[in-house]
This record gives sequence, structure tokens and C-alpha cells, in this order.
Amino acid sequence: MTIAPVPPTDADQPAAPSRRSAAGTRWLAVLRTPVGAGAGLLLTVVLLLAVFGPVFWSDAADTVDTTAAMQGASGEHWVGTDALGRDLFARVLVATRLSIGLALLATLIAVVLGLLLGTAPLLLGRRAGRLVTAAVDIAVAFPGLLLALFFAVVFGVGATGAVLAIGFAGAPSFARLSHTLAAGIADRDFVSAARIAGVGRVRVLVRHVLPNIGEPLVVNATIGAGGALLAFTGLSFLGLGVQAPSYDWGRLLQDGLSGIYIHPEAALAPGVAIVVAGLAFNLFGEAVAKGIGLTAAVNGAYPVRSGPRADTVPAPVTDDGTPATDPGPAAGRPVLDVQDLSVTFPGPGGLVRPVRGVSFRIGRGEAVGVVGESGSGKSLTALAIARLVEQPGEVTADRLEFQGTDLLTGSERSHRRLLGTAFAMVFQDPMTSFNPTRRIGRQLAEVAEEHQGMNRRQAMGRAVDRLRAVRVPAAERRAHQYPHEFSGGMRQRAMIGMGLMGEPTLIVADEPTTALDVTVQRQVLDLLAAVRAADGVALLLISHDVAVVGQVCDRVLVMYAGRVVEDLPAAELGTAARHPYTRALVAAVPDMHVDLDSPLPVIPGRPVDPAHQPPGCAYAPRCPLASARCTVEDPALADDGTGWRVACWHAGEVADLAVPGAAPVAVSLGERA
Amino acid sequence: MSELRFDDVSVRYGSRRRAMTAVDRVSLTVPDGAVVGLVGESGSGKSTLARAAVGLTPLSGGRILLDGEPIRHGSGPRPVQMVFQDPYSSLDPRMTIGESIAEAVPRGTGSADRRREVARLLELVELDPARAGAHPGQLSGGQRQRVALARALAARPAVVVADEITSALDVSIQGTVLNLVRRLQRELGTSMLFISHNLAVVRYVASEIAVMYLGRIVEHGPAEQVLADPQHPYTRDLLAAVPDSAHARPAATAADPAPTAVAAAEPADPHAPPPGCRYHPRCPVGPLVHPEREVCRTTEPTADHRHATACHFAPARAPLARLTD
Ligand SMILES: Nc1ncnc2c1ncn2[C@@H]1O[C@H](COP(=O)(O)OP(=O)(O)OP(=O)(O)O)[C@@H](O)[C@H]1O
Ligand code: SF4
Ligand code: SF4
Ligand SMILES: [Mg+2]
Repeated sequence: MTIAPVPPTDADQPAAPSRRSAAGTRWLAVLRTPVGAGAGLLLTVVLLLAVFGPVFWSDAADTVDTTAAMQGASGEHWVGTDALGRDLFARVLVATRLSIGLALLATLIAVVLGLLLGTAPLLLGRRAGRLVTAAVDIAVAFPGLLLALFFAVVFGVGATGAVLAIGFAGAPSFARLSHTLAAGIADRDFVSAARIAGVGRVRVLVRHVLPNIGEPLVVNATIGAGGALLAFTGLSFLGLGVQAPSYDWGRLLQDGLSGIYIHPEAALAPGVAIVVAGLAFNLFGEAVAKGIGLTAAVNGAYPVRSGPRADTVPAPVTDDGTPATDPGPAAGRPVLDVQDLSVTFPGPGGLVRPVRGVSFRIGRGEAVGVVGESGSGKSLTALAIARLVEQPGEVTADRLEFQGTDLLTGSERSHRRLLGTAFAMVFQDPMTSFNPTRRIGRQLAEVAEEHQGMNRRQAMGRAVDRLRAVRVPAAERRAHQYPHEFSGGMRQRAMIGMGLMGEPTLIVADEPTTALDVTVQRQVLDLLAAVRAADGVALLLISHDVAVVGQVCDRVLVMYAGRVVEDLPAAELGTAARHPYTRALVAAVPDMHVDLDSPLPVIPGRPVDPAHQPPGCAYAPRCPLASARCTVEDPALADDGTGWRVACWHAGEVADLAVPGAAPVAVSLGERA
Repeated sequence: MSELRFDDVSVRYGSRRRAMTAVDRVSLTVPDGAVVGLVGESGSGKSTLARAAVGLTPLSGGRILLDGEPIRHGSGPRPVQMVFQDPYSSLDPRMTIGESIAEAVPRGTGSADRRREVARLLELVELDPARAGAHPGQLSGGQRQRVALARALAARPAVVVADEITSALDVSIQGTVLNLVRRLQRELGTSMLFISHNLAVVRYVASEIAVMYLGRIVEHGPAEQVLADPQHPYTRDLLAAVPDSAHARPAATAADPAPTAVAAAEPADPHAPPPGCRYHPRCPVGPLVHPEREVCRTTEPTADHRHATACHFAPARAPLARLTD
């Protein structure tokens, strides 16, 4: 994971509409953007003209009137007449069909030929495939117009020749495109699975590859059609394309050009038509490509707002925050104090709130773990604290204090400075957090230059020192290496080293060992523990692995559906948890002691969709203890006086008929209120 | 069901100069009806071995035998089927799950029979047959993995290879898939090669455990014996590193007996495997700690100890850590 946007919805949530209609919805959504709508409208007009132009204006276009030859624009002839006195406006409209039709035909040839060439390597096997790819690569290197001229000469002068020429000339780039797309799909596991299932190469191509590359291919063909139109008018203009008495825009342009000094409209009109139609294809293609592709995500700070928003989302139940006399390790001034933190995203059906009123504190040097299923809001909580929530997302809180500084008020710059030196964040895959083109040492040194005002030498010295501190062997030499030269575990340590460039009081680590092996994982966890012990740095460790958290942390926050449902000492996690969800989560993870003769305990049902939070306790549909009250009233996170907090109406109770964890237990609600 | 045997199998990637041997002379047998758990760190060659078994990766040496016969990859479903790690990429997003499963049903089945077979398989993996028309996008990760299992079983395989099939799943779903795998394996008696980096998961499903390090199998034996009495130092390190909430370790203290050289040692580069025993740069009982054990640097150990352990000093030492009490 990186600083990339965290989607508010859980990957495990079923998407309601099927894939096909989803694609349709995306295309429709494109038409709702201003550019998309404009381009779509223009394209429709052009296509309608192509179909109906000759029907309506053929007569006017062909009526010879020698008395009115070579006239300028007038009320009767909007853009004048040609040498035979034919109405030029009508002729431009009529020429739409031929111009567009031939361009589309040429595009079709290019696409079909390109597809054949591009997918041939999949069918032909290794050696022959490589040959085709090499040939395509060479063809792509030739300028398209040159190829078209070459083919025009080969195929002879005339419309047929020009269509073939432009089609052939366009094929290599489509071949390259479909090869790239198809190779990407052919690498996917479902294609491997189909091959293992005995599906032949041709069928794999037709059933699995083509449907999955269709969309980008169509988009590119649309853009390509604009190019083909220009190329075709070019050929006609040069006299290599459409021959008299037929005419397309290129021919009209050529005819008009001969009299351009007397009568510029004659050249202008077909020129405008070409530009408009070309633009229509291009813009539409681009708009769709942008709409269905990735919208560029911009990393930026979010505006922190104080207090709850007056919005349509019902205000979340406010947690009974830690009392001022909170004993335990969090005593004294906490490093981090979060009160009623929420994160809201605009969703298709109104606002979605994946984090709903989270409150907790972290004391100096304390290690706090956060566990929960995916989609429970763990990462988003961390991002909100680090002020890294992406734009449409909005963060609200009653209190958000880091080292006693209120992050809700005050200037963005001073906050950045504070976070830059005293706060460190470690992500799952540091490969994406490091710049791959710069040496590790430089990237670490930069932090010190920016935030501590060190000069280059000092900063580099500190970088090497920090790399040594995180036990990167041969730190001096390693500092001059690039990120890809580090192994996963070493990159992760370098990332922690980067956090230690300042004097952090809090390290937030989001699944720091998920991508690592157990032996390397242990090294990284040990390192975090050592850093904590040595410098009294507090740690917020997010993990889906209950065992890891239980081993490293003092205290554990259990999150479910965007809320903290239990806050308990880590030592009690395995045996004394009071919230039914905590117990289920712990039981569901096999450890080295599970009974091999019975099935693993499972949590029935599935996590809540953040867009559809039930009114009462979010865990009620899956909870073996749920009573009638649970489905209407959301329990607050209540402190038992020792700092142990639980949000459950039946905390600590044991389900009477339910053996904890034994397969799904159906509980009819209300039965055991 | 059948026995799958890797006989001196090697797989090399890349061309001559930049070639690397991902699987190096591996011999391993998956007995009839057994589940062999394959563990080892990332990049040790587990997936490569799996892909070789189903014919997705060509061998550069050795043979893979099914009941003593070389596997034929003709037309029709292959006798060794595979379930992939990522259920989000192993199902075609444009196909209904019924179509995906039907694809693996052997040819020559009428369409009505095919439909009945798909329904039976969905039922077998505890999914509602009425959902055959659903697209993968409508299913959760755990449900998709069930579909992938159903597709593998549709081919009526002799052996199933499962490569990290729970590691892309949420903890709450992992258990349901593991339960299903165990149930199916017991009901159908399928031979399985079950790959995972998670020892607790392997312990739960496997009857035998094989440990892989840098392309070599370094230990192989009955699951409970390998876990209770690991012979190879790498296996012991793996077991010691398993996080264990029930028996929380105190946070790392300086009193760690292993020298920091060992603790901080990096996984070796598979492009340039160390000479002699491949584990020697990290081994806590090897030449790093016992300088007189020079033989580890120069001579590759053979696997003729208990649990087929490839270590010069395996029997010479009492087991270090007994994890199961
Ligand atoms: N197609 C390939 N081309 C080149 N090298 C490859 C290829 N596939 C894998 N490798 C390399 O082969 C080695 C073994 O990889 P493999 O995927 O088999 O490991 P693994 O044990 O399955 O690891 P993981 O636990 O991460 O899945 C690795 O060093 C890997 O980088
Ligand atoms: S409040 Fe009710 S439904 Fe929620 S966890 Fe407690 S017992 Fe279960
Ligand atoms: S052969 Fe030597 S280095 Fe290799 S595992 Fe055994 S003791 Fe360690
Ligand atoms: Mg793998």
C-alpha cells in the first residue's frame, strides 16, 4: 500500500451492479461531463449528417447552374458555388458521407489487421510470435503518412487504394496496442486457469482476452478514426484519393484552393468540416478514455474541519472518550489525542462515512495496535491522523492533538513542519513510497535538509547513521544504492530509518510486515520494538494479524465498521476479550495451537458496507449475543474505570447455546433480549 | 486419486547471462490422498514449482510424474489443477461464475449435464447454485476463492495444487476457506500440494510438510514431526519466528543469544546463491557462529538425514526450539 487513495468501500464488498452494466454506466457517466457531452453531441451530428446528408441535399449539390458559377457567399448559396455553379454548402454536407464512411472503413481495416497481428503472438507460440512482434515494431517506427503514400502508390490511385493504404498504414500502431493489452490480460491468472482447464489458444483469445481488451481498443479506434479522416482528406487533396465525379472533403478543398483568392469560402467550408469532424472523433475518444481510465489522483492535504458537519449523515454516536483521569500507560500528556474522528466520502447514494467517531489516546512510548477486518477503517484512521486523506474525503474531529498541538486549528505549514519531524509513517510496501530513481541515502537526507535545516553533508551523515540504527548492513555503501537494490525487508527498515531522521515521538505503521516473510517480519517487528525502547517513541501498529499485534503492543484497539468496539490490554486479547467481535476475530485466526480435529471457528456473515450502516450495533447481524436492543441502539464505547473500553450491550457475556465459533449460529433477534 | 512426483526438477528463468535457477534439483512426492504443505520464504521457488506442476512453466531439468507416468498436456482439462492466490485476478471478470466453472468441465458433456455439474460443484463448495449467473464482481473474496476451487474440481483432477489460496483473504474469511479445503480433501481424498508461507495454516491442513529455501527442499517429513522436532536450522528459525499471541514473547531484548550478524542477515540473492550450503550466511549453527564449520561454505549438504534434512550438522544437535508442548 502507498499513500494512494483509500477507497471508502471494502474490496470484499460485493459490487451491486454486474461488470457489464458497470461498463455501460461508466460510458454514460462520460456523457455527463461537459467535454464528453459536447464531443458526443458533435459526433452525433457528424454521424447523422453522414447518414442523411446525401438524402436531403443531393439534388442541390448536383444542380448545375452555369449562370451562377464561382459565386461568393450569398443568401441563396451560403458559401457560394463552384465552377459549375453547384451549391458548395450542399456539396460539403453531402460529402460528409463519403469522407466519414471511407475514414471509418480505413479505421476498421486498421483495427482488424492490428488485432490479428497483435494477438498472433498469443496463438503462434514463442518463436513465430517474436517474429511478428519485431515486424510490427519496425512498421510502427515508420511515419504513418509515409506508409500511407507508399501503399497508395502500391494499391493505385482511387478511393479503394486510399482506404487500403490508410488502413494498412494504421495497422501497426493498433497491432502494438492490442499486443500490449492482450499480453497484459494473458498474464493474468484467469488465463492461466483457463489453459489448465484445457481451453485451447483460440478459445482463450476469443473468450477471455478479446472481451477484456475491447473497451480500450474501441476508445483508441475512435481517436484513430479522427486521424484516418485527416489522412484521407490529405490523400484526396493530393489527388490520390477520391476521384471525380465523386467528391469528399479533401477533393472539395482542392477544388476550392484553386480559386482561393477570388473566393476563399470554397476552401474554408470543407476545411472547417474536416476540423470539426476530426475534433468530434478525437475529443469523444479522449473523453471516454479519461472517464473509464484512471483519474489522476492528486496527493494533497485535506481541510480539517472542527466539529461535526451539518450534513445528511446522521451524527455518529459519540464515544465516551477516555476520562481526564485516565490511568495506565497513557497517563501524563498523551502524544496523540483523538476525539470523535470521522472520515466522510461522497458516495453514489449520498455521503459515506467509513470512520465514524473514533476516540483514543496514545501515551509517550506506548505501543497501540489496531486490528479489524479489511474495510473496518484502520488505514483510513491512520491516514486521517497523518493528514493524508485524499480530496473528496473529509475529516472531522472534536479534538485532534499531536504533542499537545491542535491540528484542527493553526496553519497548514506549521503542522507539516511538526508532522515532518515528530511523526513517522511506515506503509506496507515501501517500494512505492521511495522514489525509484533516487538513491536511498539522498532520499533520507532530504528529510533532514527540509525539516531540520541541515546542510547536505550533515544530512547525509545522519542518513547513514540512521540506516545503521535500523541495522541496514554496510550502511555507508547501501546509502548509495537505489530502492530496487534493497530487499523487501531492508526497504522496510530504510523506511523506518527515514521516519527516524527527525526525532519522532510517534510512528504509525500500517501493515508494515504484511508483504514480508515470517523471519523478516520478526526482524522488522524487533526493530520497531527496539526503537521504541531506546527513544521512548510511541507506536500505532495497524495490522490484520491479531497475533502480530498481540505480541508487539501494550494495548489493542479493535475496529469494526468504522468504530472502535473494544480497547483492551494486549495481554488479554487471546483470553479475556469482552466484545463478541474481538473474541470471534481472535478465534478465527489459526495459530500453532489450534485443535486439528475440529473445524476452525469462523465469523458468519460479512462485514458491513459503509454505505449501508444498520441503525443499531453494526455487528448485530453477525453477533451470537445480539438482542432486540442491539438492532435499534448503538452501544457507546464505555470505560470500565481501568481504561478498558467496550462498546457492547452484552459485553463479557457468553452465548448460551452457541459454542463460540462453531459454524454460523443463527440467532433470531429479540429472542434473548 | 494419484501420486504426484517431482523427480530432480529444475526450472530456470531468463537467458544465459542473466539466468537464475528458481527451482534447483527438487525431488518431492505428493503421495496418493495426502496433503503436502510447502513452506518457505518469498522467492524461494514455491510458486514456480506449482506452475511447473500444472505445465505453465517449462522445466529445464528433471521430470514430473503422475502415478509414475509423465504428465500429458493434451487437449481437455489437465490432470493437475491449480487454485491461484488472488481470487480477484483468477476469475475472468466478464464471465459468469457458471461459465468459468463450465469451461473446466471435461468436453463431450451435454449442455444440460454441464449445467447440472456446475450446480453440483457450486453446492460442493457451499455456494448457492442459483448464483451461477453472477459475475465475479458481485462476490466477496472468499466466495470467489470457492468458485476457483469449484473450477479446479470441475476438471476431475488427480492432484490439486493450491498456491497461497488464503493469503489474499481477510482473516475472517480465511477460516471458512480452510475449513472447506479440509472438508473437500477428506470427502474426495484429493492429493494436494498446499503452498503457504503461513505455518499455522499449513499445520492445519497438511499431513506432510516440505520446507523450501532458495530453490531447494531442505526438510520434508510428517507434519507433526517436522513441527515438533525440526531438524534443519532454517525450519527452526521459521518456527521460532511465527508470531504467537497466546504465548507472547517479551519485546526483543538485547539478551538475544543469536549474534546480531545472524539477526540482521539478509535473505540471499537468488541470482547468486551462496556456495556450499545455501543457508550458511544466515545459519545460527553454521560457520557464522562456529567458524570451524567451514564445510558449510564449501560443500552442499545431502538430504540423507531424518526428515530428508539437507544440513551437515542436523543430527549433531539437539532440537533448539520445541514449539508444541
Ligand atoms: N517469470 C519469471 N521470470 C524471471 N524470474 C522469475 C519469474 N517468476 C519468478 N521468478 C523468480 O524466481 C524466484 C522464485 O519465485 P517464486 O515465485 O517461485 O517464489 P515463491 O516461493 O512462490 O515466493 P512467494 O512466497 O513470494 O510467492 C524468485 O527469485 C523470482 O523473482
Ligand atoms: S451490542 Fe449486541 S449486537 Fe453488538 S456486539 Fe454487543 S451483543 Fe452483539
Ligand atoms: S549445513 Fe551448515 S550452514 Fe547449512 S544449515 Fe546445516 S549447519 Fe547451517
Ligand atoms: Mg508464490
